[in-house]
Amino acid sequence: MMDTKIQAFFADKQDLLSEILERYPDYGQRSAVMPLLRAVQDAERHVSELRIKEIADILGISATAVKGVMSFYSTYHEQPVGKYHIQICSTLSCSLAGSDEMYDYLANELDLVNGETDKDGQFSLQKVECLGSCTTAPVLQINDDYYENVGKKRCKHLVDSMRENKLEKPWRERKGDHEGAEKAKPLQKTALKGVS
Amino acid sequence: MKVKVNGIELELAPGTSAIDAVFAAGSDVPYFCSHEYMSPVGSCRMCLAKIGAPRKDRATGNWVLDEETGEPQIFWFPNPMATCTTAIMEGMVIETEAEEAVKAQRGMVEMTLINHPLDCPICDKGGACELQDRAYEYGEGISRFEFDKRHQEKHHQLSELITLDRERCIHCKRCIRFFEEVPGDEVLDFIERGGHTYIATVEEGLESNFTGNITDLCPVGALLDRTSRFKGRNWEYEHTITSSLDDASGSAIVLDSRTGRLERIKAELNTQVNKLWIDDSTRFGYEYVNSSERIKTPLIRKGDNLEAASWQEVSEFIADKLAKLAQKEAAIVLRADSTLEEGYAAKNLAKILETGQIDHYPRQLASVIPNNSASLNDLASSDAIFVIGDVSQNVPIVDLRIKDALKGVAPPEMFEHGVPIADLRLKERMIRKKEILTVAAPYNVDLMRHAGQAHIYEANSEEAIFKALTKIANGEDSSVAAMSNEQAEALVKRLNEANNAIIIYDGFSLASPAAAIAARNFANAVGAKEIILGQMANSYGLEAIQVLPSHERYGYAEIMQGSAKALIISELNPANNSQYAQNLKELELLVVHSIFENETTALADVVLPAKSGYEKQGTIVNLEGRLLEVNAAPIDAGQAQDFEFLAASIIAALGKEGKEDLASLAHKAIRKQFGVDSKKLDPEGDLKPLKPRANNKAKLHIQSTNIGNALIVPTMLRLEYIDKNPHLLAERGAAKLTMNSIDADANGLKNAEIVSLDVAGIKRSFSVQIKDSVPAGLWLIPALPEQAIGLLELDRASLKKELEPA
Amino acid sequence: MDNITSRHDPRFEVTMYKYMGVENSHKLDFYEQHGGYQTAKKALTTMQSVDIVNEVKASGLRGRGGAGFPMGVKWSFMPPVDGRQRFIVCNADESEPGSTKDRFVLEDDPHQLIEGMIIAGYAIQATLGVIYIRGEYHLGYTRLYDAINEARAKGYLGKNVLASNFDFDLILHRGAGAYICGEESALMNSFEGYRANPRLKPPFPAQAGVYGFPTSVNNVTSIASGVHIIAKGADWFKSMGTQDSSGFHHVQISGPAVRRGVYEVPMGITYREIIFDLAGGVTEPVKAFIPGGSSCPMFPFTDEYLDLTMEYGVVAKAGSMMGTGGIILIPEDKCIVDALANVVHFYAHESCGKCTPCREGVSTWLPKMYAKLLAGLGESGDLELLEDVSHNIRGRSFCPLADACIMPVQASIKHFRHEYEYIIEHGKSMYAKKSRWQE
Ligand SMILES: Cc1cc2nc3c(=O)[nH]c(=O)nc-3n(C[C@H](O)[C@H](O)[C@H](O)COP(=O)(O)O)c2cc1C
Ligand code: SF4
Ligand code: FES
Repeated sequence: MMDTKIQAFFADKQDLLSEILERYPDYGQRSAVMPLLRAVQDAERHVSELRIKEIADILGISATAVKGVMSFYSTYHEQPVGKYHIQICSTLSCSLAGSDEMYDYLANELDLVNGETDKDGQFSLQKVECLGSCTTAPVLQINDDYYENVGKKRCKHLVDSMRENKLEKPWRERKGDHEGAEKAKPLQKTALKGVS
Repeated sequence: MKVKVNGIELELAPGTSAIDAVFAAGSDVPYFCSHEYMSPVGSCRMCLAKIGAPRKDRATGNWVLDEETGEPQIFWFPNPMATCTTAIMEGMVIETEAEEAVKAQRGMVEMTLINHPLDCPICDKGGACELQDRAYEYGEGISRFEFDKRHQEKHHQLSELITLDRERCIHCKRCIRFFEEVPGDEVLDFIERGGHTYIATVEEGLESNFTGNITDLCPVGALLDRTSRFKGRNWEYEHTITSSLDDASGSAIVLDSRTGRLERIKAELNTQVNKLWIDDSTRFGYEYVNSSERIKTPLIRKGDNLEAASWQEVSEFIADKLAKLAQKEAAIVLRADSTLEEGYAAKNLAKILETGQIDHYPRQLASVIPNNSASLNDLASSDAIFVIGDVSQNVPIVDLRIKDALKGVAPPEMFEHGVPIADLRLKERMIRKKEILTVAAPYNVDLMRHAGQAHIYEANSEEAIFKALTKIANGEDSSVAAMSNEQAEALVKRLNEANNAIIIYDGFSLASPAAAIAARNFANAVGAKEIILGQMANSYGLEAIQVLPSHERYGYAEIMQGSAKALIISELNPANNSQYAQNLKELELLVVHSIFENETTALADVVLPAKSGYEKQGTIVNLEGRLLEVNAAPIDAGQAQDFEFLAASIIAALGKEGKEDLASLAHKAIRKQFGVDSKKLDPEGDLKPLKPRANNKAKLHIQSTNIGNALIVPTMLRLEYIDKNPHLLAERGAAKLTMNSIDADANGLKNAEIVSLDVAGIKRSFSVQIKDSVPAGLWLIPALPEQAIGLLELDRASLKKELEPA
Repeated sequence: MDNITSRHDPRFEVTMYKYMGVENSHKLDFYEQHGGYQTAKKALTTMQSVDIVNEVKASGLRGRGGAGFPMGVKWSFMPPVDGRQRFIVCNADESEPGSTKDRFVLEDDPHQLIEGMIIAGYAIQATLGVIYIRGEYHLGYTRLYDAINEARAKGYLGKNVLASNFDFDLILHRGAGAYICGEESALMNSFEGYRANPRLKPPFPAQAGVYGFPTSVNNVTSIASGVHIIAKGADWFKSMGTQDSSGFHHVQISGPAVRRGVYEVPMGITYREIIFDLAGGVTEPVKAFIPGGSSCPMFPFTDEYLDLTMEYGVVAKAGSMMGTGGIILIPEDKCIVDALANVVHFYAHESCGKCTPCREGVSTWLPKMYAKLLAGLGESGDLELLEDVSHNIRGRSFCPLADACIMPVQASIKHFRHEYEYIIEHGKSMYAKKSRWQE
């Protein structure tokens, strides 16, 4: 096709760029490497070599250094992820709550394997490590949002709504600590020290 | 501090690492990640030992005593400790041979090897591999790892010069640390993490002047020198330790040769000069010596042709011709990287020929011998450095030693076992004291990236800058080109107040005697020591022993312009200059001592095969005034000889042999002048800085040009050989003509376009490099040996496009 | 809504988690209405920084990030003020499997953390604070981001905080998916824009931390506890818990518990109380529990261990660690080799690759051994090999991550050796895989 020159990512986002750079002290501008990568990733669903170079130039460091940082983390991607990036926590607590079966279900349903993106760029499926939602396992992270306590029905519902492009934001899963007071039994075994 | 290693008591300085304590005690412990001159990082976990120490009672401040023995009780660390990152403590006990230490070391060897391909039989490092050696010494001999090894790219070309075998890498991080800690170029890094971690660069090639060092320091065969791949096994090489003639540092190198060919150059330790590092030109710029195009026998002109002859025959021919000349009609010119011995030989020959027409080249108008000389180790501990010029291209090792100074860690104290293996003062990503370094140059030079202050001034304003700075130092008002008043004052103040201020300048300042004098005066005014960068390996030495014309009429340029009737010239190609070629044709005798045929040999009556710097025996003086040994490797160079042999043959043919041969004359002269025995030089050289001569016979007579549109700039590459150094050529490309995009546009030039240009009489070809950091109007041209650094007026109309870039 | 009841022992007043899950609890208005920033005001305007350090020291608060180092003592390691920049860093990387206590504060009560940071910053005279939040906590990040802006607009952050002449501002930095960033020195590397490998110690953060400046790194709930200690005093804090372990902590229960969740509890409570009283017991037979996040060696689900009190010293003496308080219950019929394969996979995935035992041992060899066992290919000698390789890794790595993997492995072999032997002998697990995915 035509030899169109790709515009620099931050060319028309100078406000965002300076907001990120200003977060860090002058001597610590290199700290901006992660937020810059994130900004690109959020917008383009991956960070290309070209963007790596752009970030390197912004920060005055080598592209190798940027790549070294980027590749260290598991949430930056070299290849674009799908519109719905489905991440299944597969660590112990989630696994004990059925995340393996949930993965099998999704893999089967979406016809994808771990790490794969479908050819329309709709779905990506990825097993990830502990998301810090162990008490509400199993958890799915779809793009930025956590869907907790995902049972079979809910999982199917989520897939359907993604297919229809009608994915709702998750409702607050968390039973706050104040909830369930009525279920609480007073502690019985130990007399707590100093509590009258 | 008292420590005990495997039962041996030692007294060591606080701050010593436990690994150095182990070696100081004559014991051994394996290590892969630690490396002299780099920060200890403790990542290979190979150097494990059982370590304990006594403890003081918090309340009483007394040692807690062992109830049975009454001695301070040793509290053992619960786990084996990495000795490289553990600092010794009073009373520490280190056991490398305790059962648990041995078990830990074995376990670590096993784990280090699980993903290693064990392809030693086809590995260039085989026989000289730290992993191979250590695995034999400390391993179990068998592996219990039964799974598939990690498969990764086997021959990943990091650059034209270096290849990476990712399967062999043991992740010691030496290579990555090298780039960050030593030259400060982060061109290599780990990619991915955990078991997937590998080494890579995403830059094109490795942009650094020092890349080859990673092939030396890689403890395995992961990083290999491409110039020497598959050329030989380590045990087949002859190793010759010598000083490099590549530049004025005299860096220590090892020549690895085999069956008459030089197959590899590695860095050798010289704690005073280059430590363990060399630049890429020094390392990779050797392939030309194996070229089949070398002149291997003396040649004598028979009509239009040069025909092979014997040294005897040609010497007699030369002597015949010379005998017919009157006083002062013969001229001798050496290249500035000739040894002292060659220099004395040339002087003796000149004496016999009764001529004062003798010179070495390239040589600038001002002296390269500092008044108040700083050593490179002084530089490494300097607290204020002012550089004017392009150090990084001129003498790259000086660039590295400046970077040492930025870390603020003085050169380490030696142990009997050598340089500390783990110098705990060194850290990864140390904060560099950029503020101690100011760099000024007529264009953007590499070192500016590391400087607190960087100034680009108009070419040829060195004199004005130094004068203005001197005024400020003397409390007078003045303004300095390209610096604000505050900057200039801050610079002067810093230099003035520093304990160890150093001023470094190069050919740009030497091109004008007045600038050189101004530089000296400024150094004096602020009490700074000087480092002057001569253009070639023995610029200092040849000036010191006065291989100089007796009169201003007899310098190199005058000789080339026809002041002599006969010329004996070594390793220079003046006929590449069309104006000189005309004069050279008129000579009654032209003797050319050369490695390769060139424009000058084409005009010669006699051509004599010259030895390369790797084949000579002799002495040089580096830019610090350090006398260094040059040793010959067994390279098959036919009948090539050095200039000393050449002079001796002619003298013999003239029947003028004295009682003593030239070699012993040179030996005596060196002793007289420098006070050292050149046959018994210290392996690290003898530092004997001289004072510049007040009555330098070569009067500083030529006025430097004040105007010009091009600058001959230093280059670390020896361009005269570059087309015979295929790997270096492929990596570095042809000589560059560098200019601003304004100039490029005005001349319709594109990046990488090949052009030819008449550079003050020399027709040269270049690849165009557009850099907006070069001031508009100024073109940069890398120097040849026949062209001293400095400003010149270019005939831009001579520019021709040769080829479109590929 | 002030008097929120809790499913806790009614004799214990929930403090840090008081407003978790309450509508709009993350907003500044809400926080101010409930006494927000009054403690910072008290600290900055009526107390010297050393008083705060002493108060925290006196409270006996031990770091809630896992290692349990007394926070006040850590603060007192800061060098004397010498004009250099100083940093207070909040470790909100929470990635230890089983842990989810910090997330509640970040999402539901970010101002509490900000107030804690102001107080901590003032205590160690750091004018800059860093909150390093794990990249996946998107909601936490946005809420904290907004909260910081709210606080800045109201003068709680910035120059001259609360008219006290103390300047303090916060940098909010997101991780991007790397467990090792929770290790404080790796966190600093990550923050500075380098690969997140742990750094050599010494120098410790107090000597050379963020950008080489004196720094203290503390966990989210450690920092937030500071607010309450300063508000109510060290004695109040010490009135909870025990001599060894004072105050309250947050336990997180996952696995087959009736009421999985996060509970604020006084230290010294027994695991039995947590599991049976708070969490309402188990939904199926359980054979083991991990007391504080996956790196802590597991305990068999027996009276002996259930009756242990939740105290740093007690748990350590019994052979494990308090860790983050993330309790994971392991069902009776979950194959222990399978469970450990999962744990090993986590650490293998998260190893930074810096040192040999972790890169080659934890990240490469161990997962392959577990895969072999699970595939039914185990041979005699494999268990001994696993033990020996574990021994060769443990205590030899650069940072504690490798140990965090090895300790649970060793504990599982210690307590459930027969399951390993079974799978080797029979080529299959003692327990068949069972579906636990709920409708
Ligand atoms: C591998 C590893 C992971 C860690 N992860 C965390 C973490 O996610 N959150 C945390 O607060 N501390 C973590 N820590 C502990 C920190 O290094 C540090 O001790 C802690 O943040 C100090 O805070 P505290 O004293 O308040 O606990 C981790 C340590 C290690 C070795
Ligand atoms: S390539 Fe060599 S020097 Fe570099 S990390 Fe690997 S083994 Fe070490
Ligand atoms: S850990 Fe590598 S040498 Fe000590």
